[in-house]
Amino acid sequence: MTSGTSSVHRATTHRPDPGLVALGEVRTGLLQHSAAIPHQLAERILQLVPGERVRLSQRPIAHALSPELMAGVDCRLAAASGTHIDGTGTVLTRASITGGTVVQASARAVVGPARADHRLPWSHYMARPGMIETRGKIEVDDLAAGFIGQPTSSSALDLSALSRRMMDVIQGSSQLDHAPRMRTKRTRLRWTARTVTAEQPHGLVEFAIEDDVLRTLQLRTKIDRIAMVASLCENLALHDWLLSTLLELIEREQRGAPHAPQAVLRLRPAIDSLLHLWMPAAHIDESLHPVWEALERRAGFTRQWEQLRDRIRDQVTLSAVTLMSVVTEGSASE
Amino acid sequence: MESSFREATAEERVASVPLSHLSVELGHLYAEDISAGRDSLAAYFQRVAPWAAEARLTALARVSGQRRPRVSTCFLVDDYFARLGSPATIIPDLLETAADSGLHIDYLARESGCVDADQVPLAQLVEGHLVPDPAPNSTGLRPAVSEAGWLCNGQRSPVNGPSEAMRPVLPWAPAVENGRRRHSIFLDIELWDQTDGRRTWSCPFLAAVWQLLRLGLLRYQGRDVVVPKAWDHDTYPQEWDDLPAILQLSPRAAPFSAYRTFSILDGRFLPVEHAVRTILAQVAVEPLVLEQIVERSNGEGMRLAPEISSRIAYLFLPE
Repeated sequence: MTSGTSSVHRATTHRPDPGLVALGEVRTGLLQHSAAIPHQLAERILQLVPGERVRLSQRPIAHALSPELMAGVDCRLAAASGTHIDGTGTVLTRASITGGTVVQASARAVVGPARADHRLPWSHYMARPGMIETRGKIEVDDLAAGFIGQPTSSSALDLSALSRRMMDVIQGSSQLDHAPRMRTKRTRLRWTARTVTAEQPHGLVEFAIEDDVLRTLQLRTKIDRIAMVASLCENLALHDWLLSTLLELIEREQRGAPHAPQAVLRLRPAIDSLLHLWMPAAHIDESLHPVWEALERRAGFTRQWEQLRDRIRDQVTLSAVTLMSVVTEGSASE
Repeated sequence: MESSFREATAEERVASVPLSHLSVELGHLYAEDISAGRDSLAAYFQRVAPWAAEARLTALARVSGQRRPRVSTCFLVDDYFARLGSPATIIPDLLETAADSGLHIDYLARESGCVDADQVPLAQLVEGHLVPDPAPNSTGLRPAVSEAGWLCNGQRSPVNGPSEAMRPVLPWAPAVENGRRRHSIFLDIELWDQTDGRRTWSCPFLAAVWQLLRLGLLRYQGRDVVVPKAWDHDTYPQEWDDLPAILQLSPRAAPFSAYRTFSILDGRFLPVEHAVRTILAQVAVEPLVLEQIVERSNGEGMRLAPEISSRIAYLFLPE
């Protein structure tokens, strides 16, 4: 037998099973730094597990993804019906930096029923990374609805707290200058994924903007590889954040003196650091592209982004014209 | 039209290491056992030999069909906790006394090689992969294990420390094992201690690293960390530090790491190995490595359980 390098498909875990539900939360925010950071720095910041590689890609956009951290849990799971469900297993968390500018932290687990009715030795759960086994039967719809509607302060499994802690670790890095060029909100995307059923053979995507920071996404899809679904949700959260942030900046700019030529200068940081980051479905497995396409049809992310981008460009052009005419008038009256 | 595009740095990749079916540890001796002399070593190997017979090892390797399994043997020398005599005399003594009982040592490893090997901080690497066994009502937000240097298999007995003097006194409660079968067998393991800022790893912790190396489960930046160095000289240096972490003594030996391990040890090592199994149950092996090894074993017609501890077998000898 020879030594060599291979990349292996994640085939042995998380086979599609109608009795499984994947739960996750993604937090997205502007990196606390005054400029886009280079790839090497992103790599150092995301080196969260000793000896494990940060995955780096340059195309079609710079993206750095941390190794996955595992946390052990043994707690109640929120169920919409109020049924008491206990689960034991592990949650995976990871972080990423896109374009040297946007940071994301995500936590996720796949929940399914255990074969045994008692807690097994810990080695059993450690051999199934990112899986939580419940004691007793579960209704996946009940768990998915319970997770989506879960209050943040609850004693049940709290993926929100885990993703927040991950976000704080990255944003608190001593390698950042903590002087971002603009004020932006952090958003949260809470998601669930259930497998396709006989009633829903073509999948289902429900996206909702719950308030100014919380979004929810409920998927029914073929969950062959849950890590890919997580990547899709992270990608969606990134684009939702870009859109929300740009909308907010334009709104803020217009609340000032919208027609003043200087107003456009306030959009400068957004023009510099955000406009080029729109790259829907980058690094997403092709099998999940239909989910993006379905979302585009309903929510029109790209249409709205292009419209906002054009509006900013028009404003820049108009301001330039205004400034030029001011200069011209000034020189004519001398 | 089909197209493909990839970036090597973006892919999940881990090295695939050469694997035997079974790694057999012929012994693990403390410094005093070795310094007890050649006769005592000879007596030790005579006790071990019947249990390392080919038929027994073939049964433990559990390969399918009539194939002859790949089996390698190893021996761990403790050069970490005590000053040993010179390898120039100890290694020939070991090899010769083993050979007198019909045993052949393929690989000789140094215990300090479980701390650092080839610039890779192995002990720290494993410590960084510990995921503590969660007690009931753990939602994943527990403090990191490295703060305490101890690892247990349950909930410790609540104790009021001096800094908590103002709090109401808690009644005594027993420590509880997680996932116990009615009654607890609670175990609390010291992973390391520290004097003058220098950390000394505990014997069970290094023995856990040793099992992970033998099972081919460790990677550093995706690379293999176990690269035994062939030793084809007739003599050995005066100092252990001048030897590689793992020496390959027979050129045609089957690979050092294996799908399964078997350790033949004196009965006094039983508590250490209980601790080793408790530690191993809490080590997060890279998922890609876990999957790769299960897939490879399937490819060889074997059924390898996903749990690491189920790949480890022992024989404890009466003394």
